[in-house]
Amino acid sequence: MIHATQRHTADSEIRLWIYEHFIDVGRAPSPVEIAAHFQLTPGEVEHRLRRLQDEADALVLLPGSSYIWMAEPFSAAPTSFTVRSGARVWWGNCIWDALAILALVGTDGVVSTACPHSGQPLLVSVSGRGLGEAHGVVHFAVPAREWWRDIGFT
Amino acid sequence: MLLFRSEDDIVAWCEQRHITPGAVFDVARLWRLATTWYGDRLDSTWRRRTIPERQAILDAVGLTGSFWRLTSS
Repeated sequence: MIHATQRHTADSEIRLWIYEHFIDVGRAPSPVEIAAHFQLTPGEVEHRLRRLQDEADALVLLPGSSYIWMAEPFSAAPTSFTVRSGARVWWGNCIWDALAILALVGTDGVVSTACPHSGQPLLVSVSGRGLGEAHGVVHFAVPAREWWRDIGFT
Repeated sequence: MLLFRSEDDIVAWCEQRHITPGAVFDVARLWRLATTWYGDRLDSTWRRRTIPERQAILDAVGLTGSFWRLTSS
C-alpha cells in the first residue's frame, strides 16, 4: 500500500492508489477519500483526476463530475459483468474487462453475466492463473478503430 | 464486448437491433487478449500504449483483419 506523504504526489501515485482501492475495497475511491489519503485539497484532486483522464487517458470520470466511472478494467458503477473472488466483488465494463480484473488481481474467481439475447446465465472461471470453465461465445460489435469514440457504449 | 450463449443468439440479437454482426470468437482467445492487454496496468511507469503497440497485441492473439485495425489507413 502506498502511504500519503507531505511531499509532492505524482499523478502516477494517485493512479496506482485508485487501482489498489478498487482491488481492496471493490469500488472507486471518492474525491474526498483521495484528498484525505494524499493530503490534497479537493480542487487539487479534481485537477489531478481531470489530468489523468484528459492527458494520460488513465481513467474515465462520470460526465459532469469528478467521480471516477472507470479505471479500466474496473467499473465504479454496477454492470452486467460481476467478478467474484472469495468475498471480494468487482464490476467489469464488459466481458473482456471482467476477465482482465481476475488477471490483474492475480486471483482465482468467477465472472457472472447473462446472454443478452436468451437471458441464460453464463459463467467463466479462472483458476491457477489460467482459464477454467468457460461458457458462451464473445461478440465484439464495434470495430477496433471506433472503440474509444464512445467508451461507455463500447 | 458481450458474452452470448451461442452464435445463433448473436445473430438474433443483432437482427433485433438492426446491427451488423461484428467479430465472434471463443473465451480462450479473449482470456489471452485480456491478460496481455492489461498486463502492465499496475506498473508504476504505466502509460497508455501507442496505436502500433496496441495493434501488435491484437495481432499476437490472432485478431487480424480490417475489423481489428485501429486506424482507417
